[in-house]
Amino acid sequence: MVIYREEYRLYNFGPDHPFSPVRLEMITSLLKALGVWREPLAPPEATREEVLSVHSERLVRRVEAASRGELYPDLEHYGLGTGDTPVFPGMDRAARILVGGTLEGARRILAGEKRVLQLGGGLHHAQYDRASGFCVYNDLSVAIRHMTRAGLRVAYVDIDVHHGDGVQWIHYEEGEVLTLSLHESGRYLFPGTGHVYEIGRGAGLGKKLNLPLEPFTEDESYLEVFEALVPWALKAFRPDVLVVQAGADAHYLDPLADLLLTARAYERLFRLLLEYAEAYAGGRVLFTLGGGYSLDGTVRVWTLLYHVFHGLPLPKRLPEGWLRTWEARLGKPLTPTLHDPEGAYPEIPRREEIEKRNRLTLQRLTELVAPHLLH
Amino acid sequence: MLVRDVMRHPVFTVGPETTLEDAYRFLLEKGIRHLPVVQDGRLVGIITDRDIRLATSHLNPKGPCPGCTRVGEVMTREVVTAHPLDPVEEAARVMRERKIGCLPVLEDEALVGIVTGIDLLDALLRLTGVTEPSGRLEVRLPDRPGELARLTGFLAERGVNIHSLLSYPEGEEAVRAVVRVNTLETHLLAEALRREGFDVLWPPKKPW
Repeated sequence: MVIYREEYRLYNFGPDHPFSPVRLEMITSLLKALGVWREPLAPPEATREEVLSVHSERLVRRVEAASRGELYPDLEHYGLGTGDTPVFPGMDRAARILVGGTLEGARRILAGEKRVLQLGGGLHHAQYDRASGFCVYNDLSVAIRHMTRAGLRVAYVDIDVHHGDGVQWIHYEEGEVLTLSLHESGRYLFPGTGHVYEIGRGAGLGKKLNLPLEPFTEDESYLEVFEALVPWALKAFRPDVLVVQAGADAHYLDPLADLLLTARAYERLFRLLLEYAEAYAGGRVLFTLGGGYSLDGTVRVWTLLYHVFHGLPLPKRLPEGWLRTWEARLGKPLTPTLHDPEGAYPEIPRREEIEKRNRLTLQRLTELVAPHLLH
Repeated sequence: MLVRDVMRHPVFTVGPETTLEDAYRFLLEKGIRHLPVVQDGRLVGIITDRDIRLATSHLNPKGPCPGCTRVGEVMTREVVTAHPLDPVEEAARVMRERKIGCLPVLEDEALVGIVTGIDLLDALLRLTGVTEPSGRLEVRLPDRPGELARLTGFLAERGVNIHSLLSYPEGEEAVRAVVRVNTLETHLLAEALRREGFDVLWPPKKPW
């Protein structure tokens, strides 16, 4: 089941902001041009109370006021009105619409649906008391909390190139939520957290996993550590459902980060995640979108996700008409195939060292969490 | 950052008449390694877990000291101390030069705290740590007046908030500044900085 509504595009920080609603417009128009678009489920927007299940009253009050053009003087303290997360008219409702989509996905899972693809959301940086990194409300955590309150054990897998810090901190002390984030090391990239030693507290101890990867990590190394870590952790945790934040910004074309995944790696990741859902989570999985700031790369990665999710054959080429329209609109050429061309980027001289360091990080992580996770 | 910002207090102490056995048990119980020795409210010495182990060990090159049963017989009498208003870096320098593991902190002769190597590591973590969601910029600046101001002015103009800034000399003529900024878009900032002639070391320029 796919969840989407046109109003997702109201979440718009302005024409020059990287978190652009144009991405959604491009994907939906591409899926239509490919003839695979099926009418999605339009979710209701989340209520104020639903947002408050993971956020503070004072944050929500400030977002609501900013939506009306009333600016609290301490906005910046709440991560609002910054270069990354500026305020705009109607932002409260726009953010609640995205939350509503992911939450509707959670409801559908509870009602017996196995696979849900929410074509939006994934705002994993938003924290209990602050907006951060393009994220106002944390749709993922609202959905996760809805499911844990219904008694489910939730495993959250975050493949966005940035650490899924908001989701991690909100559920840091919860034993029934496993969070697992693979990202470019916080030593180099926003938000700076996501070290292996952040492993949870209290009942959550050993249930928060972080695999920070070296800049310039490529497909092979990423998949190697992913395939070693994720099934191992899921097998130990035994979740009832998988929630996947499928950010596309680890793609090599991404302008904000430094990992070098190609669409091949993403195809493999999506297939693996569906397999893991079958093997370890009763087949239940809720995908959301997330970061992804190269329009060319991001649109192809999420179109791949849509195809793999539905078990559709992959198109050989993207439709000419769609390419022409968007190349004209963006004023630059687009990759004409879902997959990237061979030798898309120059060879990385430090490849071996990077692979070795990623293996070492994986080893440290498993040593740290194993005593708490395996029992 | 001053000694009073990183020191521990209250301080666990012993008297010179305490037996080594009791002192050692006390160290183990509290999970610490250093005990200032206090008599009549005055600091008269310091004893460490190493002092006690050496005094009672056959492995001591001088042999075990069967007569040594009291703290007063084994403690170091010339205690190096710090003042609460000393800068942390000065405490670190003294500890490094003398190769000692702690400094009792005295104010008007009264023992008001203690600083150990662990506290200095905590200080390092506070100085370099990530306390707010932020991205990292590394810029090599010419070592001359106004260069850091040019960098921070550039960031201020764009409304970028600096959460922390660390700088250290690099070679003879440059300073490396490591800046944590409240933005996800460090690549775009780096590009803009390069256009202004800054030597940006991180994030790197992508060749594709």
